Amino acid sequence: MTPRSKPTTPEAKPALVITRVFDAPRALVWKAWTEPERVARWWGPKDFTAPAIKIDFRVGGKYLYCMHGPAGSPFDKDFWSTGVYEEIVPMQRIVATDSFADALGNVVPASHYGMPGDLPLEFRVTVTFEDDDGRTKLTLTHEGLPAGEQSEGASAGWNQSFDKLAESLR
Amino acid sequence: MPNRLSATFAALADPTRRAILSRLTAGEASVTDLAKPFDLTLPAISKHLKVLQRAGLIERGRRAQWRPCRLNADPLKEVADWTQRYRRFWEQRFDRLDEYLREIQAKEKKPAHPKGKRHGRRKR
Repeated sequence: MTPRSKPTTPEAKPALVITRVFDAPRALVWKAWTEPERVARWWGPKDFTAPAIKIDFRVGGKYLYCMHGPAGSPFDKDFWSTGVYEEIVPMQRIVATDSFADALGNVVPASHYGMPGDLPLEFRVTVTFEDDDGRTKLTLTHEGLPAGEQSEGASAGWNQSFDKLAESLR
Repeated sequence: MPNRLSATFAALADPTRRAILSRLTAGEASVTDLAKPFDLTLPAISKHLKVLQRAGLIERGRRAQWRPCRLNADPLKEVADWTQRYRRFWEQRFDRLDEYLREIQAKEKKPAHPKGKRHGRRKR
C-alpha cells in the first residue's frame, strides 16, 4: 500500500470479501439462502447441524439461526446467531446485520461462546447473486460495525481494506 | 482492557488514518512530514495521530521537538487473525452449500432429465 494523493476519499473495499461460483442456477441458490428448510441443510461447517433456522424475510425482519457442532467435539453445543434484514433485492442482493445471540435471539458478545471477547457486537453481511454462464456467482462481504460512540461514521462500518493493510504490514 | 479490536477497527475506519499508517510502513516520520500529503492542518493531523496512538497502532518518540511517529503492527495482526477466522467460517459454509446444491440438483435431475447434463433452468 502506498500513500494516496487523495487520502480523504473513502475506500470502498470491505473488511472481508469471499466469492464462490456455485454450479446451480441463481433461482436455486437464492432459495437455498433464503428458505429456512434449505438453509438448515448447509448452515455451519462440516458435520455441524442446524437445529433451528427462523427467517422473517422482509426488510426490518429478523432471522435467528442455530448451529450445533459434532457430538463429543468442543462445539457440541448450540451456537445462535441473529440479525435484521436491511436490504432485500430479490434474486440479487441481501444486506443484513449479524450478531451472536442466545436462544431467545438476544444479542450477546462473542465471549458468550468462549470466543475472544473483543469482537464487535454486530457485523454486517452483504450477499450478492449473479449469473455466471448458467452458474451463480455469490459474493459475500463481512464487515464489523464498531460500537457507536467509537465511530466517526458508524454507517460506513469498518468497510475497509483491512485484509490488505494487515498483509502489507506482516 | 476495553475492546481493543474494536478500537483498532474504529481507528482504521478513516481513510486519512489509513494513509498515515501506510506512510509509516516506510519508516518513522514527523507530524509535519505526515501532514504534507494531506489538505489538513497540523492540529487536525494531531487529532488523527491521537486516535491511532490510543488504538496502539503508532508510538511517538519522546524527544522534545521532533517526536517521530512509528508504526506498531501488533493490533493489525489481530485484525488479520480476525479476518482469517471469519474467512474460514464462510468458506466452510460455502463448501456445505455447494454440496447441498449438487445433491439437490442430482435428485431433481434424475427423474426429470435422465440425460441432461445439468438442471434445466439455465439462466443468462
